[in-house]
Amino acid sequence: MQSEKSGPLQVVGRRLPRVDAKERVTGGAVYPADLKLPGMAHAKLLRSPHAHARIRAIDTTRAEALPGVLAVVTAADFPELPIGASVPMGETGYDMWMVAQVNMARGKVLWIGQPVAAVAALDLHIAEAALGLIEVDYETLPAVIDLAAAMAPDAPVLHEHVFTKGVEPRPRTPSNICSRTVIARGDATAALATAPATAGISVAIDTAHQGYLEPQATVAEVDANGFVTVWTSTQGQFTAELMIGRMLGLPLSRLKVCPLEVGGAFGGKIIIHGEAVAARLAQKCGRPVKMVLTREEVLQGGSGPPSAARIDIAVGADKDGRLAAIKASYHLDAGGLPGLGPSLVMQASAALYQCPNLDLQGFDVVTNKPRTEAYRAPGGIQAAFAMEQAMDALCQRLGMDALEFRKRNASVTGGLMPIGTPFPSIGLTTILDRVGAHSCWTDALPQGRYPRGRGLAVGYWRGTSMTSAGHITIAGDGRPMVTMGAVDISGVRSTMAQVVAEEFGLPLDDIHVQTGDSKSVGYTDPAAGSRVARTSTAALVEASRDALAQLRARAAEKLQCLPDQLDYAHGAFRSRQRSGAAISLPELMQATLTDGAVVGRGVSTKLPLGVEIGAHVCDVEVDTDTGLVTVLRYTAFQDVGRALNPIAVEGQMSGSVVQGIGWALMEGFDYGPDGRLRNASLLDYRMPTALDVPPIECVIIETPVPGVAYGVRGVGEVPIVPPAAAIANAIARAIGVRMRHMPMTPERVLRALNA
Amino acid sequence: MKTLITCTVNGAEHTLLIDTRDTLLDLLRERLGLTGCKEGCGNGNCGTCTVLVDGAATNACLMLALEAPGRDIVTIEGVSLQGKLHPIQRALVEHGGTQCGFCTPGIVLSAKALLDNNPSPTTAEVRHAIAGNICRCTGYDKIVDAIVGAAATLQAGGR
Repeated sequence: MQSEKSGPLQVVGRRLPRVDAKERVTGGAVYPADLKLPGMAHAKLLRSPHAHARIRAIDTTRAEALPGVLAVVTAADFPELPIGASVPMGETGYDMWMVAQVNMARGKVLWIGQPVAAVAALDLHIAEAALGLIEVDYETLPAVIDLAAAMAPDAPVLHEHVFTKGVEPRPRTPSNICSRTVIARGDATAALATAPATAGISVAIDTAHQGYLEPQATVAEVDANGFVTVWTSTQGQFTAELMIGRMLGLPLSRLKVCPLEVGGAFGGKIIIHGEAVAARLAQKCGRPVKMVLTREEVLQGGSGPPSAARIDIAVGADKDGRLAAIKASYHLDAGGLPGLGPSLVMQASAALYQCPNLDLQGFDVVTNKPRTEAYRAPGGIQAAFAMEQAMDALCQRLGMDALEFRKRNASVTGGLMPIGTPFPSIGLTTILDRVGAHSCWTDALPQGRYPRGRGLAVGYWRGTSMTSAGHITIAGDGRPMVTMGAVDISGVRSTMAQVVAEEFGLPLDDIHVQTGDSKSVGYTDPAAGSRVARTSTAALVEASRDALAQLRARAAEKLQCLPDQLDYAHGAFRSRQRSGAAISLPELMQATLTDGAVVGRGVSTKLPLGVEIGAHVCDVEVDTDTGLVTVLRYTAFQDVGRALNPIAVEGQMSGSVVQGIGWALMEGFDYGPDGRLRNASLLDYRMPTALDVPPIECVIIETPVPGVAYGVRGVGEVPIVPPAAAIANAIARAIGVRMRHMPMTPERVLRALNA
Repeated sequence: MKTLITCTVNGAEHTLLIDTRDTLLDLLRERLGLTGCKEGCGNGNCGTCTVLVDGAATNACLMLALEAPGRDIVTIEGVSLQGKLHPIQRALVEHGGTQCGFCTPGIVLSAKALLDNNPSPTTAEVRHAIAGNICRCTGYDKIVDAIVGAAATLQAGGR
């Protein structure tokens, strides 16, 4: 919906502090681990020590007998959900059989760290002691830890019900390859065979982690009538509610999920991890139950890290640098349960290039490692690490400038997306022009002690829209009180306060915004896929107009005129008929306080996509004695449609880039041959500190999206896509070696140098 | 095993019966309700539980509650003065230096330890001072800008 506003914007687009910043800097913001209820018990999960084993029996009698233990649960305490059970989310659904497995193994364990039982006790010390008294009789099974082993013809099969999808005829035997996805046009093989210039690369990417600083935490309480309330750290209270309800076999009218502050999520807090278990324990012991994961649990067994990948790419161009073909295969390591599937990754990797011949094949493969989950533009960074290096190598083969090559082949509005549909409004060429005019690209690379290089990479993320709802009630003093369904993980309370202030023509301080619990606001999908600011803007513009229409009717009655004879501006209605007759919102609400509530409602569903595109340029120095790569300068360009609040946009961009730099250079899961994570601590799994990264310069470009309120695009996801590729391209230019394994740790760089 | 201790937190004296296994973090969060001090890892690697112990930035998860007596302990709840934000806090608000907020209390205390000892640090010194505090949201620039800005405010005599 287009905003009715005309004239220059007053609040939207301004650099403003977050409305919820004060409670954060004072320690007053409440995360679920901070909750303390009377009589509250503390829960711990017992996790599998085996990567693959059948559970023959679980004996909890000794644990239950320990003084201070209040309840013990296993899979037997939950209804068995059939394969294929799902809950809705956006245009698709979420597989509940898998969600149940992530929360409590049934029959078989599929990775080290999968929960098999849980204990609630008077305190954590007792709960921990009780875990040691639970006896699980395992029959260990051969495990497959890496992609190659999982795909071997004689590999032990994880799931008897999984037959490779996307293969004709349908396979007769189950397989660890869950699906095959093909995106093709033209004849890429033939085009590559005759292309004057070709390049290719095969890369492997290790699993990393979202790295949210707040471990999953939840408190569940059951009242005397059996109504369950769950406070949790989640990206979506409604999705959590659907999942908890299904796991417990509880009607939605008997359950409420209250989202509290979220200490980082990045995709890792979409599915529940522990909420339903805590609720079942609370039902059993009749007390509130708190469950907080440890860091080791988060890393080894939590809701899931993003997938590892192996990607092979060949590209070809004519002698003028026009792309002729892209041929690629993508193998994604889903962990112990079927994953997100490779389609989005495949689309993302080829989207920014107009190319007549495409042959992309993707495979989703299960292994005996933690089930994987989304992480900020899921799969995008892996895809770009491969594709942007292949394109860079092709530029080098052609002797062509990397930026010029991308301009020549850039996707444009109306051009074909990889899946064959036309691109909505995109501004890639504008972005590339801005790169070419910026000092990060035109400045000479300063000399250093060690070899230096400059790298360029582009990134694409499709994002999603799904559903967001919200409503605005008008307080007795005339001020708008906003309740939105969106959980705030990106400062959306602040940007939505700006949108509503703009719509009402009121100062920002007059607007109060809160996220509602799952029973106090309309259904809203999780905060994921760069969708929340865009869709909540649309919903709250609609809600503002609805509220203003109701207020207009009341004002007309008070001023004794027709509603359309009133002008509204800056919190007051003024009659055009009788000069001077006016009523402010506070006066109007005071005068009509006994007329019932003014509630403006809005919902956004199926909003046009706000595809995200960015281009990054970085300078690196490679210490050829140690292999250490230092990022010296980093500039990120991005079309955000419209920056509702440039501070928030920069925050999303810088944070996303730094996560990308982390995965590029230092973050990787180190699994032993037995499937045990050998670096399950933040000492050994190292994320970037302030000393590891340079200042990130953010260049915001605004090409508003047609048909979307305020023209907002998604912001937060795409900046994580290009960093690894930009750094790899810079390394290749510095030392003449292509990096094929990510993260590009010092030892891997040294090994590549000496190969 | 339980034992009785007396300790000073944010200027107030407390006498408590504690479990000898409890960390200072347990004491602050569970016993005193000072939940601004966060647990991100429990191993001293993330800095979300940073408090000041005798003026030094310290991971509360790595110190036993038993070690608290005789020390002057300051948590995030003790930083603002009579409800007024400390200049470091104000600068973090104004610069957009807090996003999810989970690292923020620890960052405030690391920054305070720095500025109490080095009133006009360089950018590099600021980055060094917060190197023990992981932030996963901001990318650090706005935090660094905020701390440099707060130093200037304090130098100018502002509060």
